This record gives sequence, structure tokens and C-alpha cells, in this order.
Amino acid sequence: MNRLSYIGARLVKTVLITVAVVLLSFFLIRLAPGDTATVMAGQAGFADEAFMKSLRAEYGLDQPVPVQLWKYLTAVAQGDLGMSFVRRQPVLDVILERLPNTMLLNAFALLVAIGGGVLFGMFAARRPGSAGDASVTVLSMLFYAVPQFWLGMMAMLVFSVWLGWLPPFGIETMGADYTGLARIADIAVHMILPGVTLALYFMASYARLTRTAMIEVADQDFVKTARAKGISEGQVAHRHILRNALIPLVTFAGLQAAILVGGSVLVENVFSWPGVGTLAYEAVTTRDNPLLLGIFIVTAVLVSLFNLATDIAYSIADPRVELGR
Amino acid sequence: MAEALISIRDLTVALPPGADRAHAVDGVSLDIPRNEILCIVGESGSGKSLTAHAVMGLLPRGVTASGGQILFGGADLLRQRPEAMRKLRGRDIAMIFQDPMAALNPVVNIGQQITEQIRAHRGIGEKEALQQAAGLLAEMGLKDTKSLLKSFPHQLSGGQRQRVMIAMALSLSPKLLVADEPTTALDVTTQAQILKLIKRIQSEREMSVLFITHDFGVVADMADRVAVMRQGRVVESGTTTEVLSNPTHSYTRALIAAVPTGECDLPPPPPDAVPLMAVTRLSKRFRRGGFFSGASAIAAVDNVSLTLSRGETLGIVGESGSGKSTLARCVIRLLDPDEGEILFDGADIARMGARGLRPLRRRIQMVFQDPFSSLNPRETVGDIIIAGPRAYGEDMREASRRAADIMRLVGLNPETMKRFPHEFSGGQRQRIGLARALMLKPDVLIADEPVSALDVTVQAQVLKLLDDVRQQMNLAMLFITHDMRVAAQVCHRVMVMRHGQVVESGPTREIFAAPSSDYTRALLAAIPGRGLLAAV
Amino acid sequence: MRDFLRVFFSRPISLIGLVIFAAIVVIALLAPFLFVRGPFTIVGMPLLPPGAPGLLAGSDVLGRDMVVGLAYGARISLLVGITSTLCALGIGMLLGAVAGYYGGWLDDLLMRVTEFFQIIPSFVLLMVLVAFLQPSLSSTVIGIALVTWPQVARVVRGEFLSLRSREFVQAARTLGMGDARIIVTQILPNALPPIIVVSSMMVGSAILTESALSFLGLGDPNLLSWGSMIGGSRSAMWVAWWTTVLPGVAIMLTVLALNFIGDGLNDALNPRRRR
Repeated sequence: MNRLSYIGARLVKTVLITVAVVLLSFFLIRLAPGDTATVMAGQAGFADEAFMKSLRAEYGLDQPVPVQLWKYLTAVAQGDLGMSFVRRQPVLDVILERLPNTMLLNAFALLVAIGGGVLFGMFAARRPGSAGDASVTVLSMLFYAVPQFWLGMMAMLVFSVWLGWLPPFGIETMGADYTGLARIADIAVHMILPGVTLALYFMASYARLTRTAMIEVADQDFVKTARAKGISEGQVAHRHILRNALIPLVTFAGLQAAILVGGSVLVENVFSWPGVGTLAYEAVTTRDNPLLLGIFIVTAVLVSLFNLATDIAYSIADPRVELGR
Repeated sequence: MAEALISIRDLTVALPPGADRAHAVDGVSLDIPRNEILCIVGESGSGKSLTAHAVMGLLPRGVTASGGQILFGGADLLRQRPEAMRKLRGRDIAMIFQDPMAALNPVVNIGQQITEQIRAHRGIGEKEALQQAAGLLAEMGLKDTKSLLKSFPHQLSGGQRQRVMIAMALSLSPKLLVADEPTTALDVTTQAQILKLIKRIQSEREMSVLFITHDFGVVADMADRVAVMRQGRVVESGTTTEVLSNPTHSYTRALIAAVPTGECDLPPPPPDAVPLMAVTRLSKRFRRGGFFSGASAIAAVDNVSLTLSRGETLGIVGESGSGKSTLARCVIRLLDPDEGEILFDGADIARMGARGLRPLRRRIQMVFQDPFSSLNPRETVGDIIIAGPRAYGEDMREASRRAADIMRLVGLNPETMKRFPHEFSGGQRQRIGLARALMLKPDVLIADEPVSALDVTVQAQVLKLLDDVRQQMNLAMLFITHDMRVAAQVCHRVMVMRHGQVVESGPTREIFAAPSSDYTRALLAAIPGRGLLAAV
Repeated sequence: MRDFLRVFFSRPISLIGLVIFAAIVVIALLAPFLFVRGPFTIVGMPLLPPGAPGLLAGSDVLGRDMVVGLAYGARISLLVGITSTLCALGIGMLLGAVAGYYGGWLDDLLMRVTEFFQIIPSFVLLMVLVAFLQPSLSSTVIGIALVTWPQVARVVRGEFLSLRSREFVQAARTLGMGDARIIVTQILPNALPPIIVVSSMMVGSAILTESALSFLGLGDPNLLSWGSMIGGSRSAMWVAWWTTVLPGVAIMLTVLALNFIGDGLNDALNPRRRR
């Protein structure tokens, strides 16, 4: 029964975070100099008092703040994130159109990061202090220190410009009009460079975390018990060490998701991946504030949903969840 | 003597370079007899535990058996291939550890943890192995084995966990069970049950047991033969009755003498009409749980009353979770009690604010349990000792002068004032903690398990020091302990607590001679080696 | 202290980090004296390769000296990295200490807030903040401090929480010490090591964040930073590698040096990790 109450609490938390994100957004809007009316007027090219006034009335900007907040909250709750200044389309529609590409890229990067990171971490933890361990540590420190966007550009320079192995831009070959499997293969090839670039930083984190967790768990008493039972080293490593060491990684995946999305904005831009990240860049350059804010809200909600998922996974992986954390 | 199952010959275990000494075990020779219990007894750092681990072939990383032999069935275990050693472990030699919570994998259920051992050595199916496991658990006196097999370690009590560990160790009927302080982490009553269980299993199954302990009381109860270790060497060995009744080595004699016997020879408390401190109907509840699980309050201290006079020591005895430490922390106002009053020198301090409390604080002082975490690692001993007077605005020079006197009083060299706590041993650290408390010239001294982290010989010294100081300074002492034997040594009166409530209280002698409650009787009966040691 | 220095310098990696970082600090401090004309002055043809006369690192898309740009960029990176970390430390330590020491509703609130910042994509929030505040040096610093202080608060709170229940702190209370004295003399000295380690790492990640913002055109338009140098020469990358490679290497070296120092500090300040 306690696992259910744990999940219930996390569910409530997710809802609260969403509400907080929307509240924060409402105050961010008021941070920007000038209100929607001035911006609209600026774009329309003229600004006489009467027009501004009618605009303000139309957008409800002449009403008291709590009323505006309530309207904003109800609007967002119904999926109305406002209109994009530049595209003259509902913000949500613009974002939803690009969202699948971003999710695809991020999911791929996450898989590569976890898979690679866990493997490298296990490799390093096998002989702490050895040359192999040291090289994993040095590499991971290097990937921590490299700006992701620059790493992407360098990868592009090497693998696309110099070696010509992989396509540098976009999600698929322009004008090729592949269908079916050929299209999937085309997209996959395009995804390699941005995906791996995005993954490397997180792979470094995972490698370090796995290494630490493996070494820590290997020193625990229950591993000694396992050896005292005379079971094989493989079983000791798999059932006892790895199973315990992987639990913190589940929670970590949730926490990393937020950073992953930030990295995705940069990497998408470098590789012209038509996702939410490039959209954010366009919003910045065209000063399309409602769109930028909409992207923040949508990505924040998605990341908190992903965290909910990892919390549930954690509650299944660790029976001690009922002890409460 | 019976024929040896395992012969340890000149075993030397080397520590990694940079350790405080080169060898943890230095030329140890021992025979582990068939069908008997051999106890290795010694204090921390004696090498007793590493000797046991060497027999298992499970020395920690960096620690190696650099010399000698461990002969078992004609083969030298130190020279076995890892794979051969693995097959031996669990099947012929099994081991149980000090802390069963740490020794069980927290995320694998009990059933799997037992069956994986059975299945690793015998090619049988999951179902059959589970049946065997259930049978083993029943043999260990555990009930409802079906649901037990599906539970996880954190859902069991300490005693149940150790029973599971023993069941696991016995699953393949090993010839030798190595038990490394298997009851040290358990409550006394649970300890008594586990000891009885090991003894019963040993004689039923006719196997050998290598039992590691620091407690001569346990030796008296358990061992057929005993080996005393000190600083990596065996200083004395023989049959238990021989060693206990006629110890030849001075260290053995010191060890035996230091074990509190559990016989109380303290006079009843001096009659004192007006107690210095009177606690009435004190309660403290802890809230836990939250939004979803439903908040609940647990009464850690429930309606407790006591009085304390100058010159006397009142012992608060109880197992873990009895609320004895919470009571102490309420009395010294580290915790705020929920109900009741604490009359100290005529004033009720139970609900007094910080300002009113301040002048009274210095008159109630405390000595803590953990000699390591109770001293700030970043302050010198001198700074630690004069911290109290400094907080009350005493002149630095005057405080330092007094500190030197107090250090001498507690048996510390005042010249060590500039050193940091990590340069001192556990016993010395407890002396520093005592000096810190005494600097404020308290009227009441609360000692919260002050010797439970110390070796038995050091324990005796610190207990004596506490009693001397109490007499010299005419202190009222509240002595918190889980150990009836220790209570018998220093307390004029004792109060037995359980689940936050007082079970009974009275003069120590009377309670020990004629306990009125079943629980106290059980606690007294659980004292290891009581009868035997007393007779020696 | 002597122990600390011995352990710190016994590791070549921390020494290397310290040397690199010191060199970058010197360059940043000397830049206005060495290159009086500033980073925006055009000195020759665009995209001249490194080694061209008078141009050690070549020229960029507008014909500006890359060496001057790199030297001035170091100023921005260090300025943003250090000031934003100091701001975050100020807020985070104060709130974390109070929450960890006193607990109660303030602690609950702070934990919710730090969790919130852990879960939302803070880089996207930072983009919104800087874009809405108008890109400038101060909005970058404020923005980074605003999204990173919860990290400090979390560490400080955790340290205070665990130290508060340690017996030596309880002993200090029974000795009649006041809260302020306990915090300053008992808890803080023990809590500082992890805080120092975290801050050295935070300077590095703030530098990375600043470069990312500038790369996206969200940096101060009146200042040349390493990130904006890379962003400005994206189109030239194909023909003139040095315009993007060199500023990136500069960022990497700085952050790497800081992480090396942080690692060394961690080993030297944390006796438990010494093995």
C-alpha cells in the first residue's frame, strides 16, 4: 500500500510543479519591458493612444493583476499558450509540430548516454586505479569541460566536412522523398551526429556515477555475504553489485532530463535539427516572447512528467521505498 | 582434544603499506576442533576478525595473507585456486556477520538470497530450493516462512535478520560456521536468543563453530575452547574452563577482570530529603508520516517520572527504542518535551525559553556516546575544553589554567592541549568529552552510553573515572545504558525502560536480586555469562 | 592546512589545473594593457590563417585579431563565472544554512523550491530570463545566479542538517553556546569543504552557460566573449577552422582547469575520500 501512497505523493508533486511553472511564466511576462500591446503596436508600425487602448482591452491588460493571473491560468489549463507574434499561429500548435523531432533526438541521446555510461562505468569500476579507469575518468572530465555546441561543430567538421561520413544538417535528406524503411534509415543517419553529441556529456556523468556506485556497493557487507555463499563472481556482480548500483541511476536519469533539454536547444541549433530547440532560437532572434515562454512551459511540464515516470520506476526497483526518503 | 577440522599454522596477514602497522595477524597458530565451538576473543585491532576472514578466503582488498597455512582436509586454503575456494565457501565453510541488516542485500527478497546459495552448489530447481529454504527458516524458529521468503530485509526485525543469515549459512550443512561478532549489533534479549540458537544448531548438526567476540561473557556461555588474541598474536588458549578459572597471561586476567559481572555491590543511595532534580510525567512524541500515509505520533517517552539527588547515580536501562536517550535529551533540553515538568533546583525547566535556560544550562552537562562524532574534528582539544567557559564569558587565560587542572583530573596530559581529536584514542576522547563537561562545574552530569563504543578494558577505566569524579564533585549522575552489567557497576538506583515507559525502578541491588517485572527478569537472564563469570 | 596543501599538490592534476587557471587569469588581467585598441578593431583582411604577419591566431570574419578577441573573451568568462557564482553562493548559503539549521516550514519551502529548479529545464528558463530582461552582462550574471543558487542551497542545507545532529554540535548547545556562535565556530568550518568544491565546479559550469548564451546571441552585444566569437563565425567554420576551434579550446581549457582544481580540493579537503 505504501508504494501507492509514494506514487500518489509524486503525482501531486508533478501537478504542483506544473502550476508553479505557469505562475512563474506569468511573472516572467511582466519582467519584459513593455506589454503585449506595445509589442503588437510596434509590429503593426503605428501606435496611437486609442489603438493601444483597444489592444489592451482586447488582451485584458487593463484589468487588475489577480484577474489577469486567473485568466492566464485558466487559459493555459485549456492549452491556450497565446499567439505567436511572428507566425500568427497558436503557440501550442507551433510547438507541438516540432515536439516529436525533439523527443526523438532526446530519447536517442538518453539511451546512448545511459547505455554507454553504464558500460564505461562498469569497466572503470572493475579495477579502480588502473589505466583503463584513469582514461575513463580523464575522458569524462574532458566531456564535462567542453561546450556542447562547440563539440557538435567539431564533430561536424570532422565527420561531415573532412571525412564526409555523415550528413551535417537537418533531419532527413532534402528532396529525396524517401518513404518507409528508407526514410527511417535516412533519419537515423541524420540523428547520429546530433544524438551522440548531446549524449556525450551525460554519458560522462553516467560513467562517473556508475563507477562510484559500483565501487561503493562492492565494499558493502552484503557483497561479502554473497562471496561467502560461494556463488560465482558473475552472479555476485550481476545480482548483488549491479542491481544495487543501478538504483541511483534511475533517479539520476530524471534529474538529468532537465539538463538534457537545455543541451538539446544548443545541439539542435548546431545541426539545424527541426525541433523545439531551433524554434527557441528563432523565437529569441525574432523576439517572439510568447513562443519562447510557451517552449519553457511545455518542456518544463514534459520533464516533470518524465521525472514522475522515473520516480515510479524507482519505486519498483527499490523495495525500501516504503521506508520513505 | 578432539581432532582438528582446520589447522591454522603461523598465519600472517599483512596490511597495505601506509597502515599503522605492518601485520594485522602475526604468526597465529590455532586448531579449530571438530564438533566444538572455538571462540577467539580480543579487543579491536587484535586481528581476530581478519583471522576469521582469512579462513573464508575473504580478506578485504589490499590485505593479504603473507605467510603460514590454513589446512583443511589435507589442503592449504591459502594456496587454493579462487574457483576451488569458491566451491568450498558456502558448502563446507559458511559465515555470518556482525550487522545482519548490512549483510543482507536490501533489494533482493529473502527467498532468493537463500536459494541462490543452494542452487549455486546443488543443481536443483527453484521450487525445491525454496522448499528447503522454508524448512531452514522453520528450523531457526521463524514462523510464517512462506511470507518471510517473499519479504525484503528491511521488513524484518534485527533478530529475524540474523536468523535468516544463519539459515542461509546452514543451507548446505557446512562443516564449519564462522561467526564474526554475530550478536554485537543486537539487543541483549535478542542476543541471548541467537546465542542459544547457534549453540543448539551446533550440537544438533555436530559441526564446528569459529566464534569471534570481544565479550568474555559470551565466551563463557558459548565456547568449548577459547583463544585470546592481542595485537595480532594468540596470547593464551585452552579449554574455556581452564582459561576462565586459571588465566595464565596477564592480559587475559585483565580482560576477564574488566568484564562487569552483573553483580551489584554498590550501597543504596545516600538518603537525601530534597532531590536536586525531579522529573514528573514527562512525555515526548515524534510525528512521522505525511500527507498520504497519514500522520501518526509515536510516544518515545511516555509519562516518565524520576528524581535525582546529589552524589547518586541513577541508571536508565533499556534496549534500543526504549526512549532512554530521548529522555536524557529532554532532561538536558536538547529536545523540547511535550508534557510534564522538570524541576531543577526549584525551577521548572521543561518549557523554559532559551534566555531563562541559559544560566541553568551550565549546571546540567552531558557526556556523549560516540567518542568520534562528539568532538569537533577542526578544533584543538584545548579549544574544545574551554568552549563552555568561553561561551559564558570567562577569561581565556583563567579558562586555560582551569582546563589544565581538569585535564589532569580526568587523566589527560595538559601538554596535549594543542592537538586535534583524531590524534587520541577512543578512551582518551571520552576523557576529553568529560573534561569539557566538567569545566562548567555542573551539578548534574548526564552520561549517554559513555562506554558502549569502547573496548572492555578501556570501558572499565572510564567507568571508574566517572564514579571517582562523581564522588569528588558530588555530582548527580544520570547514566544511560543498554548494558545491565555496566549499570550494576556504577548505578545506585536503576530505572528499566521499554517502549518509552518505565517498567520498574529501585535500588540496583534490589532490582538485580528480585526483579518485579518479567521484562527485567528477561533482561537479567540475557546477560551473557552471568552465572559462570560470577562463579570464577 | 599543511596537510591540505600537501595532498592538494601531491596530485599532478590539481597542479596542472592551477597553472592553467593562473595563466588565464593573468591574460585576462593584462588584456587591456597589452591590446589597448580593444577586441573590435579591424586589423586586416578577414579570415587570415594563424601565422599570417602579425596575426598569431589569424583573423576572424571581420578581420579582427583573434588573439585580442581570445584575451578579452577571458575577461568576460571569468567575470561572469566568478560573479554569478558569488551571487549564487550568497543566496544559497544563507537560505541553505537557515533551512538546514532550523528546519521547519522554511526548510520544507526551500526543499520544494530547489526541487522545482532541479526539475525544470533551467537553461530554457535562463534563455527566457535573459531575453526578457534584454541581453546584457548583468542580465547574464543575474540569470545564471538565479538558476544556480538552489544547487548551493541544497549542498549547504544537507551539510547543516547532518552536522546539526552530530554530537559535538549537541554538546555545544549543552555548553550554552548561542545559535550564531554554533553556526560560525562549530558547523561552518566543517561545512565549508564541500561548499568550496561545489563553487569551484560552479564557476566552470557558469562559464559554459555564458558561452552557450552568447553563442545563441543572448550575450551582451557590446562585449566580445568566447561564445559569441564561435557563434559569429559559424558560417566561416568550413573555410577557416581557427575561428571556431580556438575559442572553443579556450573555454575547454578554462573549465577543465577549474574542474581539476575542484577535484584536487575535493581530495584534499575530504579525508574520507583519500585512498
